[in-house]
Amino acid sequence: MIFVNISIWRAIYEEEETIGGVQFKMLITYIVLGFLLQSIFAMEEYLIENKVRSGLISSDFLKPISFRFYIFSYNMGTLVFKILMQLFPALIVSVALFGMLPPFSVSSAVYFLVSAMLAYLVLYNLNFIIWMSSFWFYWTFSLVTIKDAAIMIFSGALLPLWFMPQWIMDIIWFTPFDSIYFTPISLYLGQIPADETIMCLVRQIIWIVILFGIGQAMWRSANKKLVVQGG
Amino acid sequence: METKGTNKIAEFIYLFFIYSKLNTKIMLEYKLDRFLLAFAVFFREIISVVVMVLILTRFVHIKGWEMNEMLFLYSFLFLSYSLFIFFFTGIRDFDDMVYNGEFDRFLIRPLGLMFQIISSRIDYCATVGHGAVGIILLLHTAGSAGIEWNARNLLYYITALIGGAIIQASLFMLSSCFSFWAVKTTNLRNLIFFNSRRFAGYPISFYPAVIQKMLIFIVPFAFVSYFPAQFFLRKPDIEMFWSGYLYLTPVVGAAMFALVYAFWRLGLKSYSSSGNSMY
Amino acid sequence: MAFISVENLVKDYRINSRKKGLLGAISSFLIRESILKRAVNDISFTIEKGEMVGFIGPNGAGKSTTVKMLTGILVPTSGSISIGGLSPYRDRKKNASRMGVVFGQRTQLWWDLPVSDTFDLLRYIYKVPEKTFKHNMEMFNDMLGIGDFINQATRQLSLGQRMRADIAAALLHDPEIIFFDEPTIGLDVVAKEKIREFIRFINREKGVTMLFTTHDMADIEKTCNRMVIIDNGVIIYDGTTNEIKDRYGRERSLIVDFGENPGDICLEGVTICGEGEKKKKFTFNKSEVQVSSLISRLTQEYSVLDLTIREPEIESIIREIYEGGIDFDKSLSGICQEVVSEQRSLQN
Repeated sequence: MIFVNISIWRAIYEEEETIGGVQFKMLITYIVLGFLLQSIFAMEEYLIENKVRSGLISSDFLKPISFRFYIFSYNMGTLVFKILMQLFPALIVSVALFGMLPPFSVSSAVYFLVSAMLAYLVLYNLNFIIWMSSFWFYWTFSLVTIKDAAIMIFSGALLPLWFMPQWIMDIIWFTPFDSIYFTPISLYLGQIPADETIMCLVRQIIWIVILFGIGQAMWRSANKKLVVQGG
Repeated sequence: METKGTNKIAEFIYLFFIYSKLNTKIMLEYKLDRFLLAFAVFFREIISVVVMVLILTRFVHIKGWEMNEMLFLYSFLFLSYSLFIFFFTGIRDFDDMVYNGEFDRFLIRPLGLMFQIISSRIDYCATVGHGAVGIILLLHTAGSAGIEWNARNLLYYITALIGGAIIQASLFMLSSCFSFWAVKTTNLRNLIFFNSRRFAGYPISFYPAVIQKMLIFIVPFAFVSYFPAQFFLRKPDIEMFWSGYLYLTPVVGAAMFALVYAFWRLGLKSYSSSGNSMY
Repeated sequence: MAFISVENLVKDYRINSRKKGLLGAISSFLIRESILKRAVNDISFTIEKGEMVGFIGPNGAGKSTTVKMLTGILVPTSGSISIGGLSPYRDRKKNASRMGVVFGQRTQLWWDLPVSDTFDLLRYIYKVPEKTFKHNMEMFNDMLGIGDFINQATRQLSLGQRMRADIAAALLHDPEIIFFDEPTIGLDVVAKEKIREFIRFINREKGVTMLFTTHDMADIEKTCNRMVIIDNGVIIYDGTTNEIKDRYGRERSLIVDFGENPGDICLEGVTICGEGEKKKKFTFNKSEVQVSSLISRLTQEYSVLDLTIREPEIESIIREIYEGGIDFDKSLSGICQEVVSEQRSLQN
């Protein structure tokens, strides 16, 4: 998949004078980084749905904290595994094959790491809301697919958001999407001015809090629903 | 003899119609769910179109290709896939049928196996999802890409779509053959198929020679989108390829299907019903 | 000539040996090492028109493979099968049009649709004439009560209803031969009896040839007069159910209620296997001890209130055969060939 994208970008820039120039290299770095983050951020989407449909959820629900903790730690485990087993080899290949740029500066590297961790939490809490909806819909494949597509386009996973028309950017500003991929990658590339950096990180944190709040509310009402229905 | 042949075809069409009726009935039973699913597929597929539009808004043209022309090329992919899924969902799901024993059932019916595989399943969600994207693109570009829609061109267009659908069906069928030997190739198939398909969304002249060769000779997606589109558009990069390729889509489709079908018959002989239907 | 004739039928399976792990998967994909397993080993038999034959044998004995070859699902490795002059796999479509199959564990009804929709579809697939269709549907309604649930979706049916509908679906086109694969599995006693009764009726009225595979011996006892036992890919018995009972069901048990405690009883050739205060259970071999003399001795010497004689169930006889507890008597007419102990054929 990554090869397809890079081939197309190469074709685009072949005509322009900038081939091999800064703009092209930055774009390639953006695409590769987006791809790498996506592959390590992939989560198990149907864990809760399977439990809801099989009815096993009611027994898990009796001890709510441990079940949520279980899901979170399951995904964290996957994340760590993917960082060790997939990210490092892929990183080496990307640098060698695609000429990926290093971080813009030492500070942008640090900001990138912090922002990437926050981005994971934004994505996790957004996903959690979709997963919880299985209490009401039972089948969430459609919702998950739509959510994935929305993230793909609005978070800048496939295409840097600076390609978007301004009016769409204005809308995205009111959503958590750009916090997921666009913010960390822009920080890596040094595209965000120093005085706005902290603001970006704060925005990520705000989204984590909001999404967590919604997830919490859904968790509570799902709990009530189960008690009323008797499991 | 001839009337007997036409009778037989009429019978097949009628039976296919009954199967479709039943499949439609099932779909209507889960209206909301299926509608959402079709919408999800549509949304997922249109993403790649949006990306293309955004890129071309910025760059106006890539290697002489303008937005309308690229979208016209892309419409071939969606429409032929939609056509393929409408008729050949059964081929896509064939390994499932082998694993859950449905195929055993086909073997004890007085009907052709391929006929049963094809008519037993229709995935309306994928058909509608891909088809809607394709139709939007076609309506948008049919007039603006400078194509004259005379009878000859219309005939070519329809033939090319059918040929493209059969090429994709053959690729899926090739992978399904391996389930006769209990080898599961679904993941490998998806990896090869969908990545080749992504390549074919853009003109193949954009790519290095190796990938061009692959898309012509190995996973011949070039005949699904690039060559049919070039028949209408005649962009200068067609010089890179033999001009006969423009007319080969149905030939490639028919040849591939014939070859794969022969391989499939061979596999059928080794079939060792893995289902546990008859303990 | 017999309606079904099977000669020297052999089926080998090729089993891929897979190695574990990713590297193993790749290497076994490239270099396919496989082991040949013989599931059916040179079997022959014939079945006449209108016969009802039960196939039994432990799981993996080869009976399901045999039946799959008879239905045309599997192609034999060697040997020949002829059903009314047709080869099940070479003339697959022609043969299929006069054959019905009931899979007890897997329905042929469309899961999400009313039963009537499947019947409509089958009517076109098998080109059932309007008159036959109507007549058969009436019969299914009378005998199986199909009408009560014909407009319900299959997924809403009880197992008993589903099985009745499945049997009706297999019979819709008046097949000449029907294969039943565990037709009563999971059903309660009443439902089982109803289905067996219907099967007997169809055989009697229409002269349909029937083949069963089952694990429920009562199915075979109550419907078939002929039984074929397959083990390790070979036929070890082919004959009537009564014969096997006569020959191997020699053990009898006698349960006696005494008026008062009889104390120790010692009789020649009789063992005591259960003892209460006034109740005893004896077992003996009927060829060694005569029942009448045993009873007369007991009634003369003791005060006997009640006595019961029990024959062994055919099920327990079969169990013993599977476990190798019975050595076949070579003079028995049903025994086809010497049973060679072999490597157990694969589970299929």
